[in-house]
Amino acid sequence: MKEEVVTKDEATVPAARGAAAEASGEPLLVVDKLVKHFPVKGGFPIRRTVGAVQAVDGIDLTVHVGESFGLVGESGCGKSTTGRLITRLLEPTSGKISYRGQDISHASRKQLAPIRSEIQMIFQDPYSSLNPRQTVGKIISGPMEINDINPAGGREKRVRELLEIVGLNPEHFNRFPHEFSGGQRQRIGVARALALEPKLIVADEPVSALDVSIQAQVVNLLQQVQKDLGIAFLFIAHDLAVVRHFSQRVAVMYLGKIIEVGDRDSIYARPRHPYTHALLSAVPEVNLDGDEEAQRERIRLAGDVPSPISPPSGCRFRTRCWKATEKCATEEPPLVRISGNGPGHLTACHFPEEPTTGARDEDIVLDPALAALEETEG
Amino acid sequence: MTSPLKTEGGGASVVVDGDKESAKESQTAQVEGRSPGRLMWIRFKRDRTGVISAYVVGFFFLIGLLAPLISKLYGKDPYTVYADERPELFDSAGVPVQPNGGISGDFWFGLEPGNGYDVFTKLIYGIRTSLMISLAVTVAVVLTGILLGVTAGYLGGKADFFIGRVIDFLLAIPAQLFFIASMPVVVSLFVSPRDETPTYVRVVALIAVQWALGWMSLGRILRGTTLSLREREFIEAAKVSGASSRRIIGKEILPNVVTPLLVQSTYLLPNFVTAEAGLSFLGVGIVEPTPDWGQMFSKASTELVLQNDLTYMFFPGVSMIIFVVAFNLLGDSVRDAFDPKSAR
Ligand SMILES: Nc1ncnc2c1ncn2[C@@H]1O[C@H](COP(=O)(O)OP(=O)(O)OP(=O)(O)O)[C@@H](O)[C@H]1O
Ligand code: SF4
Ligand SMILES: [Mg+2]
Repeated sequence: MKEEVVTKDEATVPAARGAAAEASGEPLLVVDKLVKHFPVKGGFPIRRTVGAVQAVDGIDLTVHVGESFGLVGESGCGKSTTGRLITRLLEPTSGKISYRGQDISHASRKQLAPIRSEIQMIFQDPYSSLNPRQTVGKIISGPMEINDINPAGGREKRVRELLEIVGLNPEHFNRFPHEFSGGQRQRIGVARALALEPKLIVADEPVSALDVSIQAQVVNLLQQVQKDLGIAFLFIAHDLAVVRHFSQRVAVMYLGKIIEVGDRDSIYARPRHPYTHALLSAVPEVNLDGDEEAQRERIRLAGDVPSPISPPSGCRFRTRCWKATEKCATEEPPLVRISGNGPGHLTACHFPEEPTTGARDEDIVLDPALAALEETEG
Repeated sequence: MTSPLKTEGGGASVVVDGDKESAKESQTAQVEGRSPGRLMWIRFKRDRTGVISAYVVGFFFLIGLLAPLISKLYGKDPYTVYADERPELFDSAGVPVQPNGGISGDFWFGLEPGNGYDVFTKLIYGIRTSLMISLAVTVAVVLTGILLGVTAGYLGGKADFFIGRVIDFLLAIPAQLFFIASMPVVVSLFVSPRDETPTYVRVVALIAVQWALGWMSLGRILRGTTLSLREREFIEAAKVSGASSRRIIGKEILPNVVTPLLVQSTYLLPNFVTAEAGLSFLGVGIVEPTPDWGQMFSKASTELVLQNDLTYMFFPGVSMIIFVVAFNLLGDSVRDAFDPKSAR
């Protein structure tokens, strides 16, 4: 079965990727059938590998120069693992990561040195991403020190510049992280990522630990930075709302696989995968013309994401999908451009939904408890 | 134990200090941030118990350090056998004639029954010996703890497993028994049993034996701290920038283990002082004529001294109790200052 999948991927993906590349320029980062399995140890008295968490299980994606790419999925679907593989904090089990055509999938620290400065990361937790014992100035100039970069006018001047860019008082470079709020700390994290003038920034849920009121500010900052400095972003988020205004292209992940990818319009206006539909229906719509709100479909998914240790056979979404059939259990749907999709819009589903997010005749409520609740309410 | 003092006496001053601090801060706000270390220092200074304890502990170290100078000013040394020099001060059994162990303007803390050593100089030199040994053990233990603990925590995997098992094994050994049994063995490694054992060999053996069984608790704590630090995102940020392991350990991890290190060290040192005293008391540590704090207790418990001169026990006993209590209170205060949440 595995073999079959592989051949299918090979047949369809390159063509599709070509289409995407046409749409928006030169590829910067190409991820090819990337796999990361974490071994699960168990057994007594001798511990051995008894299984694997299939955190990332064969994903392909391309980020183009200067593009903002959103990666969305529920908690535990492997988004952070993908980000850490790309920044090479983790060693891939198999598959290939190329940056500007150079294979970095298994590059050592020394081999990575020249491109280290080009791929940077922004972290989720502003409270653990800054060393409490270093001043802001030290934190931001650290990457420059490591890479032996001496900007004109000295590192301190550059630190002030960076603080200014991210909207902090440049005089604060001698302060310590505990003297800043969560949002300000995240800005410091952004300044640190910018210190090396990267070409690609992997932002792993950069705002989900922040207050809702501050989230927008930080997203705006990132958006501005992305536009002004032409940095490509891989923006990881767990819902579609955050990436909506930020990303030109969006990929939706489920249990270690990408199940749908396309430009923003395709994903938000013409989604095909049932899971994307479900995620979209959960996005709190901020629509200026209120009447459209009423027409949106309503989908409530049942249960939790299955364990990535033993994911469902065939289509991984089938345990929660309302369209699942026998075929979905036996045959894994390939990620392809199905008929009706625009260029670069790929969907992995045997029985795709209609490309609309309008209201359905009947709401889909898969959770019996939720259904009962809604009945009593309505 | 320390809380009543703190809440009653310290309450008012905390507010005053706080106001002063914030007023001061607003002036210098633009330039300097307050490091976690400085915040700790500010909190520590407000803790009256801690400050007093620190002075007491400092006083003992000062005495140890200045022992030769003090004894010079005082005009005596701990090696002079006053039973021979001033026989009129002793009766036929060698017990000081004057009451209270021969306390007088000449001999402030009295004279030792038997050889007639001067108790005052013997005590300050004894403190010097004990503190020197304990300090050396602490330094050795801290270095070992950092080396093995941080290595185990940072590398994880096989190294961690191996170091963990060594720690388990060493912790299973009953320390006191091991000390008593191994001291003669370690000493005999350096000198043959028939020769006179030089003092430095005994000192080295004492340090080695206590070090061998002293580093594990600190090693474990540092391993745990490093393990949790390793998962923090700022370490990953350093890695993404291409930092070497050396830089990550030196610049990112070590500055963050200083807190548990300092707290643990302030608990360890008085323990080593009492352990060393215990060994000398049992006769496997420092022996006459080298002055030593613990050895004075063993002298005090000999039949001659016990029956004729109870005063002799007083000075080493009281000074050691004060020292150990002050040091432990200091340890508590240091811990509270570093981690204000645990105290309130
Ligand atoms: N170091 C690891 N060892 C073992 N399993 C891991 C490890 N890191 C992640 N996993 C597992 O891999 C799966 C994917 O984790 P990942 O952190 O990538 O999810 P995520 O999509 O980022 O979720 P979240 O939104 O909660 O951050 C999870 O089931 C997680 O338990
Ligand atoms: S392949 Fe089948 S189970 Fe999977 S999403 Fe499509 S319809 Fe649902
Ligand atoms: Mg994550």
